[in-house]
Amino acid sequence: MGTDNAHAGGFGEVSRVRGIVFEYLSLGASVLGIFALAVLLVYVTIDAFDLANASPEWLLTYFVTLVVPYLAFCLYSANDRTLTRRTLGVLGGGLVATAVVFTAIETVVRPIPRLTWQLAYLFVVALPLTGYVTYVGSRGRVGQVGFGLLGRLIGGTAIGLALGILFLVFDPRLWFLAYTLGFVPAAAAYGYGRLRSAPRAITAAIPIGLLGTVAAVALRSVVDTYPTTVLIYLWTLAIPIALAGALVAADRGGRIAAAAVGGAPLALAAAVGLFGEAAGLGIGGPNALLVLTLAGVPTAVFLHRVADVGEGAVGLALPVLLAVGALAGALLVEAWGVPAPDPWLNGMFVTEAPSRTPEDAGLYPAIVGSVIIIAMVALLSFALGVGTSVFLEEYTAGSGTVGSLTRLLQINIANLAAIPSVVYGLLGLGLFANLLGLGFGTAVTVSLTLSLLILPITIISAQEAIRSVPDDLRRGSDAMGATRWQTTKNVVLPEAFPGILTGTILALGRAIGETAPLIMVGAATTVFSPPSSLFSKFSAMPMQIYAWAGFPQAEFRYGVVAAGVITLLIILVGMNGTAILLRNRAERGH
Amino acid sequence: MSNTDTSDSLITTDVETGSNDRTAPSNRTAVAARDLNVFYGDEQAIDDVSIEIPEKRVTALIGPSGCGKSTFLRCINRMNDMIDVCRVEGDVTFGGKNVYDADVDPVALRRKIGMVFQKPNPFPKSIRDNVAYGLKIQGFDGDVDARVEESLKGAALWDEVKDQLDSSGLDLSGGQQQRLCIARAIAPDPEVILMDEPTSALDPVAASKIEDLIDDLAEEYTVIIVTHNMQQAARISDRTAVFLTGGQLVEYDDTTKIFEDPEEQRVEDYITGKFG
Repeated sequence: MGTDNAHAGGFGEVSRVRGIVFEYLSLGASVLGIFALAVLLVYVTIDAFDLANASPEWLLTYFVTLVVPYLAFCLYSANDRTLTRRTLGVLGGGLVATAVVFTAIETVVRPIPRLTWQLAYLFVVALPLTGYVTYVGSRGRVGQVGFGLLGRLIGGTAIGLALGILFLVFDPRLWFLAYTLGFVPAAAAYGYGRLRSAPRAITAAIPIGLLGTVAAVALRSVVDTYPTTVLIYLWTLAIPIALAGALVAADRGGRIAAAAVGGAPLALAAAVGLFGEAAGLGIGGPNALLVLTLAGVPTAVFLHRVADVGEGAVGLALPVLLAVGALAGALLVEAWGVPAPDPWLNGMFVTEAPSRTPEDAGLYPAIVGSVIIIAMVALLSFALGVGTSVFLEEYTAGSGTVGSLTRLLQINIANLAAIPSVVYGLLGLGLFANLLGLGFGTAVTVSLTLSLLILPITIISAQEAIRSVPDDLRRGSDAMGATRWQTTKNVVLPEAFPGILTGTILALGRAIGETAPLIMVGAATTVFSPPSSLFSKFSAMPMQIYAWAGFPQAEFRYGVVAAGVITLLIILVGMNGTAILLRNRAERGH
Repeated sequence: MSNTDTSDSLITTDVETGSNDRTAPSNRTAVAARDLNVFYGDEQAIDDVSIEIPEKRVTALIGPSGCGKSTFLRCINRMNDMIDVCRVEGDVTFGGKNVYDADVDPVALRRKIGMVFQKPNPFPKSIRDNVAYGLKIQGFDGDVDARVEESLKGAALWDEVKDQLDSSGLDLSGGQQQRLCIARAIAPDPEVILMDEPTSALDPVAASKIEDLIDDLAEEYTVIIVTHNMQQAARISDRTAVFLTGGQLVEYDDTTKIFEDPEEQRVEDYITGKFG
């Protein structure tokens, strides 16, 4: 309690100028980068959907029927008065501000090409606001239910379509044999082992499965009568998925609920798949079966859970709300007779083959090619990347000759990550296409080349993830008498999995957009029919987009290319989103 | 594992040191070291240690930091093998067999010796999976759930977690985590449990629970515990080994003897707090 105040004049000042300058410079640089990217994306979107020709009435109609109900739903879910007031304020104030600023710029500075103030309002105010409100709303109970349902519907459909595409090149009949002879007996042995606690049956499951698969490969060329593709999908995919759904439901509720959760979507999918086309529904066949199963079963499980918990059931209205909104908008526009935009990116664009005329141009074969390549690259680079990083981190000694060799390997891998992709293209051309004779521009060559390209990135990030697993856990497992492999499998890999997945996501994002190595290994810029085997000629989305960008007609360069870019981005975001969901789930797992 | 005959030589240990009144020392040796030398590179961590540790007793290893007591503990289950620069000379016998013999598989050895670490290190798995871990990796084909319950009861944790066996082991408090690690260590029914300062990261209340537990464990297992806390050693152990700097075993005797009438002046100085 000293009363003599030695510091009456304060403690002096310490300069923070440099820190503050640095802070604002960094902020400015980041904002500038994001802004430039945003402007580009806005223009690409405008071109892809022909929004420049959208009349204000058209925009208004959809704003009222689609955006407003959606915002209302999110706000209802967020259940926050302040947020509602602020949202309304931003919507209204933003309208006036955008109109004034936009008009001012157009009159004072110069006209802004292909933008109206209404569009500017859409992109600058409505879109970010919707994003934010969606984020807040999705955390409420109602929002969780609504977006959960929407996600399962959209995700299931996407996975169903992707599976259908993969079966274009992977022989469904071989899969049928392998599933019937390998997977089913193995699963039966495993299930029996678990139920009767007979460890020998569990151990036998893997050899049984392998044996069955080998038998399947051998029999494929001998047997020549097979069920139809619809029946194969029904037996090998729809029934097991429905069973899995029923098991999940049985865990929470009774047998009746389980039967309904598994049976209802299965029955619907089977009926549409088998008889849809004959009954004149307009949909049907194997792909309809896949989509209905993969969207239907998770949806049914989800509905059962929501009914079980009994909270936020109102959220289930979200998909209906959006569908009705879109329909109402279309009807209103039709009745009103206002000019509507003619988007380049429409149903035809993603289902048709490329063409010389911009109006008929489609991306379908390239989408198929990209999906197949991504699936194979993901599988290859994940398996190889995790394998290599586990070897480097867990199995090699830190000292001695082996240690030096490991360090040499490490340095080389780090350097490989920095090698230009054209060089990898050259490697793919020499190694896979020429030396191994896998063919020029085939899916195998392209996938192997791209896997090699992203392998260093996957390895390095997987190593980081494995290294970040605390040593305490390893020692704990070792002290229990676990072998190195048991420790890796049971403790290290589960803990490192989210990190490994993050690295793989980033690397795949790079692989999907690569063009140079594809050109080098001789991938086609344009193919007119989707590939039918892994060894047929391939194209990929970036190749097709690159080809279109060189076409003489302006419609190609402005409309079709933009539509292609948006499709590429949607697929990329969808893929990353799925992987991020998986990762978050794995992180929550413990 | 005999030594169930407790009638003939019941000795009540001194009350002042707080030692328990467990039965007479066993004549059987669980773990022994003979002329043990351990080096980390050029540095000697253990200097010519010979010791015989009795079965189904609590043996405490005390001494100042860096005196080699943790190193000695890790020699018993060959966890030092994980350290590249570590070199071991001499014998460590467990059940009469030298664990450093060429035909000993360290992984198989560790399945007979449980270990509890200084910092609680439960796996990021459910409580059930944590306890069942040893059973799983050893291919145990009996009733896992019964063994999990038994082990959690043995670690005095069952009542606190029986309703949340499927929640993560990391959600427990520090003391509970350490008892979970003890349950994990005893689940495969080892013969010896090694504890490397098991209470040093815990608060006093949690630590005293672990101490009570160690007392109970000694009825079934040989417990070897490294501790910095001399009161703890006095409270819970039957035998105490005092290591001093340089990795020498200075004195090894009954705990009461060590704490009341040590032979060596250095030990007395250390125990009374003159150094260390």
